[in-house]
Amino acid sequence: MTNDVWVYAEHDADGLTDLTLQCLARGRSLADQQGGSLSALLLGSALGDLPATLGSRGADRVFVADDERLAQYSPMTYTRVIGSALKEQAAAGALLFPASTQGNDLAPAVTQTLSASCVLDCTAVDVDGETLVGKRLEYDRKALAGYKATGSALQVFTAQDGVAEAVSPETGRAGETIPVAVVLHESDCVSKVLKREIAQKTINLKEARVIVAAGAGVGSKENFALVEELAAVAGGEIAASRAAVDAGWATLDRQIGQTGVTVRPDLYIAVGISGAVQHRVGMMDSKRIVAINVDANAPIFRFSHYCIVGDLVEVVPKLIKLWQNYTR
Amino acid sequence: MAYNSIVLVREIWDTRDLLDGVVRSDGQADTSRLTTRFDPEDLNALEMALQVKDEHGGTVTALSVGASREVDVLRESLYRGVDAVYRVVDPVLDTADTSVKATAATKAVEKIGRPDLFIAGLNVGEGENSHVGVHTAQLLGLPRAHYVDRLQSIGDGAATCIRAIEGGYETVAISLPAALIVGVALLKEDPRAPRSAKARLKLQMKKTPIEQWSIADLGLDPATIGNVTICVGVEPVEQRAIDSRRIEGSDEAALKQMIQELKEW
Repeated sequence: MTNDVWVYAEHDADGLTDLTLQCLARGRSLADQQGGSLSALLLGSALGDLPATLGSRGADRVFVADDERLAQYSPMTYTRVIGSALKEQAAAGALLFPASTQGNDLAPAVTQTLSASCVLDCTAVDVDGETLVGKRLEYDRKALAGYKATGSALQVFTAQDGVAEAVSPETGRAGETIPVAVVLHESDCVSKVLKREIAQKTINLKEARVIVAAGAGVGSKENFALVEELAAVAGGEIAASRAAVDAGWATLDRQIGQTGVTVRPDLYIAVGISGAVQHRVGMMDSKRIVAINVDANAPIFRFSHYCIVGDLVEVVPKLIKLWQNYTR
Repeated sequence: MAYNSIVLVREIWDTRDLLDGVVRSDGQADTSRLTTRFDPEDLNALEMALQVKDEHGGTVTALSVGASREVDVLRESLYRGVDAVYRVVDPVLDTADTSVKATAATKAVEKIGRPDLFIAGLNVGEGENSHVGVHTAQLLGLPRAHYVDRLQSIGDGAATCIRAIEGGYETVAISLPAALIVGVALLKEDPRAPRSAKARLKLQMKKTPIEQWSIADLGLDPATIGNVTICVGVEPVEQRAIDSRRIEGSDEAALKQMIQELKEW
């Protein structure tokens, strides 16, 4: 029987990540549908009550690699530990990772180590007869393609936000904690994190009904201030593309997109944002999108309701004035 | 010190202007209407390698796995100043999954000669499942940095790069040889943005023969390498219909109208 499902448990300073909780919920239901068990795999150092949390969230067994050398994420050490842990588990049929920067880094590497099959960025993982099918969006999100493993290969998936609804912890439910031996080679320890800059959460953009976002096209701190004024007048929150955060105009916690926040406000006004896919995935489901761009061919216009072609230095002050003077 | 890089370059379907469905009634993707382009992330990866060469010397080799369709990414790489290009072409690759492609890429890298840096772009759609870079790095036994935003410095046997993580960045030092998987969207004026093809090189390199290797040339047996992952079907995804309106920035009446609609909506 190879119906056991494994979930890689990613965690940060706030505990298990949301996506990990979703993977646990999905993993639990896949294991139940196939008559298998659910194991969680936890790596790190000084892990506190995380193993117990995984048990209360549905894991039957919690494999824990607790080692100082795993205190920081490193692709090679983590790949080594996960690979060795899974190699001893003949009953493992599937391994689910959150489709985070960490999960999408580990999954293909572990796949190589274990000669597994791999599907990244799944929006769904479903049971299909004897096997599992991972579904992912392709062709610019116009097609949903399903992939499965041939033969009896271990199936590795990374799952995106929305793959399942996280379930609440069940009081009294516990998993069996099993320590994992950490054996590292010298060649694994060749990368080091020198510095980490993580957004201090001062704002929850997910709850904002109006968002005014600035991109690299804004060009300067002064122009950014203009966009901030528009946000204030429109009763919205200011946000930024990665490029604008890079430029130092906005703080990291206001970044929209792939490595930032995903938002779905009633109104999204994009100023000087070209609309690269990295930004788009974070805002494309906004109910109304207004884009201001000097380039009439900017990709953002392809998915905006109002496409304002013009120099923001002229357009934004006009909008501020019109918004202030608006009367029914 | 000089550094040698090998960059994996790919040709992908250009789906940017694809407004309607791409799925045929038989559940397969209809690619006949699509054009192709140089994968933008791979172009950024190529630029990173060329900048290392500009600054420190060494060579840049571009490697492509699979037959060329419309845009020859290897010739485009030559026009941008790479030193050598190689293509792996084999009927097996037409339907190959990522692990087969990564195996072919690995053997090709070994045949070229192991580099100081193996660089690839991050996100490739269409069945490649966006993980060839990491898979190849792992097969080559190279340490890797993923979601690399910029290469900050290189020297003393190590590279320092900044990589994207959720809600921020991480600065990582990694010893050489290493694999960098580059995942950054760039604007034209960014110093990391890819250079254009050079007219002089276009004239010089237009007819330069490109060395091609089959799977067998790489020492692999086409009969024994098989797919581990297969596509079981493609379904169309209903697209959000957006009633798009264009407004000239100077047209105050139209802007006023828009605000009214937004306020009353």
